[in-house]
Amino acid sequence: MTTTSPNQAPAGEKVVATWNNRIRLRFEIRGSGPALVYLHPAGGLFWDEFLARLAQHYTVYAPVFPGISPDDTFAIHQLDDIFDVVLAYEQALRSLGLENVPVVGQSFGGMLAAELSACFPKLFSKVALLDPAGLWNEEHPWSLDFISGPPEQLPALLFKDPTSEGPRSMFPPPSGPEEALDQAVTGIWGFGCMAKFLWPIPDRGLSKRLHRVTAPTLIMWGEDDRLIPVAYAEEFGRLIPHSRVELVPDCGHIPQVEHTDHTYATVTQFLAAH
Amino acid sequence: MKVTYIHHYPYRHLPEDFASRYDESVVTNPYFELVDPKLVHEDLRSALDEAMYAARAGFDAVALTEHGQSSYDMNPNPDLGAAALAYATELEGIETGIYTVGRSLGKSREPLRVAEEQAWLDCLSGGRLISGFPVGLAYDANVNAGVPPIETRARYDENFELILRAWTAREPFPFNGRFSQYPSVNIWPRPMQSPHPPVSVTGTGNPNTTRFSLQRDLGFNLVVLGVAAPNTAQRIFDDMWRMADELDVDDNPYRAAYAQSVVVAETDADAERLYAKHVEYSMSRGVGHIPMHRFALPGGISPQGLRVLLGQAMSAPTGGQTAPTYRELVESGAVIAGSPATVRERLADQAHSFRIGHLLANLQIGSMPTELTRHNIDLFSSEVLPHLRGIWSEYDGDNRWWPERLGGRPVSTKQADLTGARLK
Repeated sequence: MTTTSPNQAPAGEKVVATWNNRIRLRFEIRGSGPALVYLHPAGGLFWDEFLARLAQHYTVYAPVFPGISPDDTFAIHQLDDIFDVVLAYEQALRSLGLENVPVVGQSFGGMLAAELSACFPKLFSKVALLDPAGLWNEEHPWSLDFISGPPEQLPALLFKDPTSEGPRSMFPPPSGPEEALDQAVTGIWGFGCMAKFLWPIPDRGLSKRLHRVTAPTLIMWGEDDRLIPVAYAEEFGRLIPHSRVELVPDCGHIPQVEHTDHTYATVTQFLAAH
Repeated sequence: MKVTYIHHYPYRHLPEDFASRYDESVVTNPYFELVDPKLVHEDLRSALDEAMYAARAGFDAVALTEHGQSSYDMNPNPDLGAAALAYATELEGIETGIYTVGRSLGKSREPLRVAEEQAWLDCLSGGRLISGFPVGLAYDANVNAGVPPIETRARYDENFELILRAWTAREPFPFNGRFSQYPSVNIWPRPMQSPHPPVSVTGTGNPNTTRFSLQRDLGFNLVVLGVAAPNTAQRIFDDMWRMADELDVDDNPYRAAYAQSVVVAETDADAERLYAKHVEYSMSRGVGHIPMHRFALPGGISPQGLRVLLGQAMSAPTGGQTAPTYRELVESGAVIAGSPATVRERLADQAHSFRIGHLLANLQIGSMPTELTRHNIDLFSSEVLPHLRGIWSEYDGDNRWWPERLGGRPVSTKQADLTGARLK
C-alpha cells in the first residue's frame, strides 16, 4: 500500500546480495537527505504518512524481509534463526555504506533493530524503537494471536481505535478479487516468515543482550497496546543504558499510524538532538 | 479389502450448551470446569475395551490417532494405547494389526523416541505394527507443540529420515540434523518386521502429501471432515490415481485408506433414533467444533498452495456456521448410516469409486456410550464386514502396506530407501 502524500519523494530500490549470496535483500528507498534505516513490522512494509514525512528530511532505506517479496518467497528458508537474520542484515547494510546511521524499527522491526544494535553496537548512531517485540515474561504474557487468530480480529488487536482514519487507511478495501487474493497470500505468508523468529514465545534471549546497545535509544509505546503490553517499555528502558521511554496516551500497538503527529515529532526531535 | 477399527478417545460428557459457551474443543477448552476425573477414567477404559471388543470381533486391525490438548480425542500419544492393545491381543492370541495412524512427525521434538516406541510396539506385538506418520494438524504441531508453522514440513522430512535410518541401520551412526542431533544412534530394540513395519502418511488434501506417499510407496490415509467430505474425498482420490499414473506408479488399491464414520442398526430409522444425537455431539462439541484457523496457520502452507486453497475458498459459496445435522451428514454420505444392507451397499460403492483397499471404520462417535458402541461393532462385524472382505481380492497377494504376519508383503525398497522423495 502506498500513501498519497503531497510531497511524495521519488521512490527507488536496491537489491543487495548477502548471506553468501543466498539472500538478495531488497531495499525500498525514498526521500532525500541523510540516510535512515527503517525496519518494518511483521505485517510488512507500508509507506504510511509517518514514513512519507520522514522521507522529506531523510533518505529512508527500508529492507523488505526475506520471503515477503512475492518474487522470492523461498528466501526465508535460507534463514534458520535470529542470528542468521542479524548477520545477513548487517552485511547488507554495510555493503550499502549504511553505518553509523539512525534506525527506526516497529514491532518485529524494533526487535530486529535492537538485536542488530546489541550485536554490532556501532552500526547505528541512534535507535528508535516503536512498540518493539523481543521481551517476554510471565508477569506480562503476550501471545501471537495476531498471527494465529482469525484475521478479522487483527485491527482490534493493533489499534486502540480501529475505526479512526490512520488505522482505516492501513486496511484499504481491495480493488477486486484478484487483488484480494494477492493481499491475502502475501499477508499470510509474510506473517508465516516473521513467525519463524517469534514462534511460539517471542523471546530469543534479547534481554541478555540489550546491555550491549551503546547508541542513544528512544523507546516509544502506545499506552493501550493490546498486542505487546506497555509494561515492556519500562523493561527496555531499564535494560538499554542510554535510553529514554516515551509513552503515547490513547494509543495501541502502532503509534506511527494511530498518532502520527506525536510520533513523528518525538522521533524527529530525538534524531535531531545532539 | 482390509477393514480397521479406528476410534478417537473423546470425553463423552460435555454439556449441551458447550458450543455456545466455549469457542472450541481444542487448546482453550477448560479442563477442570468441564470434566469429572472419574468419567475420564471411564472413557479411556471404555475406548480400550471397545477396541479389544472390535479386535475379538474380527477386524483386521485396531487403529489409534494422536491429538494433544483436545476433548474430542484425549490421545496425546497413540503409542500408549497401542502398547496396551498390543499386549492384550497377544494375551488373547488375536491376529489383528496395531495401526498407529497418528504419530505426527511434524510435531515431534523427540524423533528418536518415536523410532524407539514404534520398534518396541512392533516387537511386543510380534510384528503386527502398521506405522502411521502424519504431518500433524496445525493446532497440534504449532500451537500444542510450539513448532513454528513454516518449519513443520521440514521437521517432518528430517524426522522421517532419522526414524527409517534408526530402524534399519546395521551399525550405530551419528545424526547431525537441523532439528535434532544425536552422537550415536543405535536403538534397542529394532523393529521385528524386516526391513521395517509398513508406513503410511495421512493427508487432508494437500497434493504434496499425496505425491509424497506415491513417490515413497507409502500407504496414504485420507481424513476429511464435514458435510462435503464424500465429494472432497472423491476429488482427492481421483487426483491421487491420476498422479499415480503420471508418476508411473501402480494403481494398487491397497495404497489407499479412508476414514469413514459408520453407524449400523436393524433399520435405517433405528439408526437415526439410536445414533443421531451422538453424531451431532461430535459436530457441535467434538471434532466439528474447531475453528478454521486451528487447521491452517501462516507459514504452514506455501504461497503457491495458499493461492490455490484461498482461491477455492473465495470462489465457493460461504457455508453456514452452524454444525450440520445427522440427516445432512447421512444424506451427503459423510456418515454412512442405516441397516446392514444400506451400509454394505454404500461402503462397497465407496470402496470402488475411491479405489481404496483399506477402510478405517470409525464406529464410536462423539458421546456414544460403550453399550451402543458394542452394538454398532456387533452389527458391523457380523452383517457388514464379511461382505467387504472380498473387494479387491485380486490384489490380496500384493498388499505391501500390511504386516507379513497378517498376510501382507514386506515393504518395497522404495519405501525403505533413505534417499527417497521428501514431503517438503
